[in-house]
Amino acid sequence: EEQVYECPDYRTAGPNSCYFDKKHTSFWTIYNITVKATNEMGSNVSDPHFVDVTYIVQPDPPVNVTLELKKPINRKPYLVLTWSPPPLADVRSGWLTLEYELQLKPEEGEEWETIFVGQQTQYKMFSLNPGKKYIVQIHCKPDHHGSWSEWSSEKYIQIPTDFRVKDMVVWIVVGVLSSLVCIIMSWTMVLKGYRMIAFILPPVPGPKIKGIDTHLLETGKSEELLSALGCHGFPPTSDCEELLIEYLEVEDREDQQHMPSHDNGHPSKNAKMIPNETDSDSGRGSCDSPSLLSEKCRETSTLPSTLQTKDVRDVHENKGGKRSWETQCIASEQKTVHFNNETTKSSTWPAAQLPNNQPPMFAYHSTVDAHKMTLSTTNVNTAPVLVGNEEKHQSQYPIIETVHNDMEKQRETENVHSKTDQTTVQVKQNRPNDKSPFLNPKLMDYVEVFKVRQDEEPAVLLKHKENSGKTEKYTVPGTSKEYTKVSTVVDRNIIVLMPDSRIQHTFLSQEPAMETSQNLQQGQAEKNMSYCLTVPSECKREVSGSEYMDPSSFMPSFK
Amino acid sequence: CHTSGMLTPNGKEYAQKIPREELTHLILKLLQAWKEPLSHFNQHIEHHQELPDDSLSKAKQISNMVHELKTGVEKVTEKARFSINSLNGMASSEAAGLSTSNEANMMSDSDFIHCFRRDSNKVQSYLKILKCRIMPENSC
Repeated sequence: EEQVYECPDYRTAGPNSCYFDKKHTSFWTIYNITVKATNEMGSNVSDPHFVDVTYIVQPDPPVNVTLELKKPINRKPYLVLTWSPPPLADVRSGWLTLEYELQLKPEEGEEWETIFVGQQTQYKMFSLNPGKKYIVQIHCKPDHHGSWSEWSSEKYIQIPTDFRVKDMVVWIVVGVLSSLVCIIMSWTMVLKGYRMIAFILPPVPGPKIKGIDTHLLETGKSEELLSALGCHGFPPTSDCEELLIEYLEVEDREDQQHMPSHDNGHPSKNAKMIPNETDSDSGRGSCDSPSLLSEKCRETSTLPSTLQTKDVRDVHENKGGKRSWETQCIASEQKTVHFNNETTKSSTWPAAQLPNNQPPMFAYHSTVDAHKMTLSTTNVNTAPVLVGNEEKHQSQYPIIETVHNDMEKQRETENVHSKTDQTTVQVKQNRPNDKSPFLNPKLMDYVEVFKVRQDEEPAVLLKHKENSGKTEKYTVPGTSKEYTKVSTVVDRNIIVLMPDSRIQHTFLSQEPAMETSQNLQQGQAEKNMSYCLTVPSECKREVSGSEYMDPSSFMPSFK
Repeated sequence: CHTSGMLTPNGKEYAQKIPREELTHLILKLLQAWKEPLSHFNQHIEHHQELPDDSLSKAKQISNMVHELKTGVEKVTEKARFSINSLNGMASSEAAGLSTSNEANMMSDSDFIHCFRRDSNKVQSYLKILKCRIMPENSC
């Protein structure tokens, strides 16, 4: 049987609606609903719509939604949601069974997170970020058939930020430690910055070549350096050139040239000396030859330093004049520059002066010269010599006696010259007597004064005729080494003579030349060739305690 | 529907007014009424090629569930010691069910399914009410 019921209520549900309430409907009954529209023109009926009210139930939204933040001890706080079913839904009788669903999102978020809860009316949430605000809403639906209800009103909850004592402590400890480390680092840098830098970036060591004394390099004495290297006579210094030139130019003018400013008296000597020098050297090459030139040069160069000091001393002793003598290489006047400008050509001709009084200087020079000479000598002797050890020994340097003049005069010949050249150093002093200092038996390394000499006569030094004799003497001793060569001139007035094979030279001692010079002078003006070579004892005597070398000691006395 | 002839409460109020034994009886009657038609239906759709395989298995599954549900309700009724009269009523309804099954065969498949849905909903609702009446503590 079909019964047609017209809509009992057109208003409750709004416009274009019909409200059939509970009285007019029942479960499990299929209703056919049609809408009939009528106007002036006529009427029309819509399509039928079949409906069973059982299946279109939509409950009301849940009510009493509550959010509660629970904070258990030693655990993270969590959120508890509770709600109630809508009041009209008869859940108690079981007639209607509702299912619930949550929606959650942080306040700033955009998407809702949907959580199906089921038929329970409470829910716990654990994974929430502290410090954020969340929004929650719930809706429900009949368990089998029906549609979802509207969402409940939004609920807000603020999750409190979680300050844990543990975290704070950890951060504080970390901060303190790092600050301590920074402070320590800064202090270390401040106090030992350089060391740290050196530790991290170790300084690159400079090249170290054996035999080269960096100090030498610094002072700029190339001759010494080169001699240390074993290269004598290279490069030719200006002095040498000068020497050479002068040498060539002047022939007999040496005397005058020698020590123009010389104190009187000496000039003659100088002259003598010079010629000797020149002669001897003239033939040779400039600095190549073992000639005096080189030695002289060296000596002169070295001299200056030594001489300088000497000057001081000399001042005390001698005066003036000597200076000239001091300067230079024997060979050339130029050296004079060192000292007083007086150029005694003959390099240290001071020897010449010596006779007067500057023995010290002279000696000094001579030694120096000799030294130079030796140095210049081509022989590259190992001149260990130097200085110090031999202090006692007197090395003989080729005295460039030229200065001596008298002695020089002799020049004797080439030999002499040559010798002188080499020796240049005239150390006149000392012992005029021949002590053949050369003979120093113990010569240690001495500079070989005359290279040339070696062949001829051991006598290194040469020079004066008188000396020549002596030189011969030197040679004679032969066996002993010849220290004709001044291996090096140490700054402090030490001339290192290298022992020559034949002649033994005593090492130059550093003694004030003064005394030696005196000796020399005494010795003989001319003859002085005092190479105080081998006579250490003697030399020693003369050498007084000053620092200068005592040329006399070195110089063997050539008589 | 072939079970339209049965008098069943159409609403919650009616269902709550009926005594429990009667309600139980009614449930059993419904379940019984559908036993035969379901088996026929399964046989019927097996021959249909166009239906997806899921439908066939589902239909069989539903038949089994109905059977099990009936068995369960019978056990509950025994325990509740409902009157024997209801049991007798069951027998008579079976006869009625037989007759109705013929009608069920004549229904179209869609109507058949629709009727079945309605009756199963009834059974569910009645059972829920019954449950809350007997054991009110759980979600009632």
